[in-house]
Amino acid sequence: MRSVMKIAAVTAAATMVLAGCGSKPGTGGGAGGSGSGSDSGTGTASGKKISACMVLDTGGVDDKSFNENSWAGMQKAAKDNPNITIKYVPSNSGTDYTPNLTKYAQGGCSTVIAVGGLMGDAVKGVAAKFPKVQFAEIDNSNQGVSNIYGIEYNTAQGGFLAGYLAAGMTKTGTVGTWGGLPIPPVTIYMDGFWEGVQYYNKAKGKNVKVLGWDEKNQKGGTFASSFTDQNKGKSITQSMQSQGADIVFPVAGGAGVGAGAAAAAAGGKLNLIWVDTDGCTSAAQYCKYFISSATKNLSGGVETYLKAASSGNFPTGNYIGDLKNGGVGLAPYNQFDSKVPDALKKEVDQVKADIISGKITITSPSQPK
Amino acid sequence: MSDPVKTDQPEVTTETVEVAPGEVVAQRSVDVRMSTARRVGIGVAIVLIGLVTVLGLGLSAGSGSTSFDLNAGDVGIQLPKVNVPGTVTVIVLGILIVLVGVWQLVRGLQGAALRWAGIAVALLFIIAFLTWAGSAGKQSVQIASLLQQTLLLATPLILGAMAGVMCEKTGVINVAIEGQMLFGAFAGALFGTIAGTWVGLVAAAVIGGVMGALLAVFSIRFLVNQVILGVVLNAFAIGLTGYLYGAVMAKDPTGTNTPATFSPIKIPVLGDIPVIGPLLFDQNIMVYLMYLIVAVIDIMLIRSRWGLRTRAVGEHPKAADTVGINVLRLRYQNVIIGGCIAGIAGAALTIGSVGQFNKGITSGQGFIALAALIFGRWTPRGALGAALFFGFATALQTALSLFQSLPVRIDSDLLAMLPYLATLFAVAGLVGRVRAPAADGEPYVKG
Repeated sequence: MRSVMKIAAVTAAATMVLAGCGSKPGTGGGAGGSGSGSDSGTGTASGKKISACMVLDTGGVDDKSFNENSWAGMQKAAKDNPNITIKYVPSNSGTDYTPNLTKYAQGGCSTVIAVGGLMGDAVKGVAAKFPKVQFAEIDNSNQGVSNIYGIEYNTAQGGFLAGYLAAGMTKTGTVGTWGGLPIPPVTIYMDGFWEGVQYYNKAKGKNVKVLGWDEKNQKGGTFASSFTDQNKGKSITQSMQSQGADIVFPVAGGAGVGAGAAAAAAGGKLNLIWVDTDGCTSAAQYCKYFISSATKNLSGGVETYLKAASSGNFPTGNYIGDLKNGGVGLAPYNQFDSKVPDALKKEVDQVKADIISGKITITSPSQPK
Repeated sequence: MSDPVKTDQPEVTTETVEVAPGEVVAQRSVDVRMSTARRVGIGVAIVLIGLVTVLGLGLSAGSGSTSFDLNAGDVGIQLPKVNVPGTVTVIVLGILIVLVGVWQLVRGLQGAALRWAGIAVALLFIIAFLTWAGSAGKQSVQIASLLQQTLLLATPLILGAMAGVMCEKTGVINVAIEGQMLFGAFAGALFGTIAGTWVGLVAAAVIGGVMGALLAVFSIRFLVNQVILGVVLNAFAIGLTGYLYGAVMAKDPTGTNTPATFSPIKIPVLGDIPVIGPLLFDQNIMVYLMYLIVAVIDIMLIRSRWGLRTRAVGEHPKAADTVGINVLRLRYQNVIIGGCIAGIAGAALTIGSVGQFNKGITSGQGFIALAALIFGRWTPRGALGAALFFGFATALQTALSLFQSLPVRIDSDLLAMLPYLATLFAVAGLVGRVRAPAADGEPYVKG
């Protein structure tokens, strides 16, 4: 019995060591992460040599969402300019933020990019300790600190277009939106969606109802309390359908995929608008139910930042991605291209132009300032 | 085998453990004469619930009439919507609750009668609450959808709780239901994509069984603390499935993570019954499997030789050993079967419902299943009831948040608490004292 136990213990220890290797592909060159940019670079080297390091939030580099897209921006920048070397470290929980940021700030990185607004306090704290290192944080402002660059997105604008499109496409006169958690990066989309529907109603004299969110009641709304619970997502979407919704806009990462299952179960009576990325790429098996997607070009924001940084001067202040600079937008209609009437497409383009020109004002309280 | 009688309860209490087939082995406290304090306490509590219904809900209800929709979609026999006047109905239901409370005060119900009175109060209150919620009159209360969602959300919980019953009735604490479900969900999605849903289901059961075997070996042979072991196994499951997701599924989602889901199968005749038909008898194979597993465990545990032995091993392994039952073998067997059921519970999430695996898809449902098991007094029926109730409260949370004009605005954060809060109240009110199998968590060492 002793010896069996010993073997088991050794095996377990070995497994942990292996698992440890597996969790740091950024340095080991495992799943998708490449430690040095020089060998993968195909572009021409230009500017200063910089080492860009990314601290990911929980969810991992393959989350099909903000971690993956942010890292994609790093990869693209490194590919275009071999002088940019990149690496990343995932966070397993909120308690990893500060240690990960500190490790990279100490470890010779010229810039440390934090992914996710939840790291705000950690970034501020570490940036104060390492004033010579340039930080950047995605989904948060620079908090008034000179060595932080904020990369933010006014996703209410994309949500607005999605809402207008949904209102134009609904046959039942009811659309729905629900979120993962009631936090600003989620509710800003829902605000935009709600406003888009109201704008449509006003312009057309219609009365399309929005289930699940009302911008004027920021404490209400329908949420899954999870970004991973797909079954709950399916359940919420089906409940919306039973209340008459035929187009649903889920803002809930992995849990939102459950809405795809609900759409598949409804057999064409229910369609969706996806969020953050083009749904036909990130949740491809449900592509035929996606009218479009309200996108957030995280990789573009990161890439732009790194390109500017490699040219010599780190940018300061904040970058706000919006419809004008392509930071947010509406994905192609994909399989709905023939089903969305041309008139509606033109109207959506007009609404987009009006938002850019300032003719339409978006009132969401969660917008970056 | 008797609990000390509390000093503030002067009632005569006899407690029996019946081990003959045909009887539940559970300590039953039979209150011969209920104390006045207890009788009045329960009565007053019920009257208070009634008054809250009348004064709180009744007076704040909207002026419209509440419309209940009993149809699930537009298939099958359609029933007309039931319309009731909001305020009046709530007040009438509240008065009924008060009457039950008064009856309790006067008559002092006890035992089964008290249980039924409790269930009646809960039902009356839920109906009153739904009437109140819909009393603005703009949207109908979708009863059929609410019940459908209850079943959708409860199925994995019920299966998970059955896995717990298998393990804990035989004396092994299973905190690892979450991890076993996670592996089941993963295997179901992976093998379901590669080789078809049925293979996925079998693979989920097998991998769940392997996890169960790990639990069994470490807890039964190596006497590791079972709670800590469960926590470790959960961490192991999260880590390994997360790693495999990245290494396998994220690389080729189409080839590894797009399983077909089981389609609903309508049972002839039964499936045509209005309301109940589409709800219970037009479901997919995972739901029917859940019915079967609950029924088999419930019957076998009480009526079969295996059940008698399992309960004996869970209550008093030494006595069981003395009469020639192989305690350890039975524990191994039951824990592994429990693991298989937990694997199926996980598969109910992927191939039974959503058709895709993601990291941490179980989202704590294994722990809810564990809670349902405990709230259900470690019995299959009780666990079924507790899991269904939790599913109902979760579905209700969503339904309430979809009402555009509730008489009173409720914060989404408060609503998120509803399933847990409601379950707590239901447990405190209806279930009362619970007692685990006596040898639950105790490793058995011969000699």
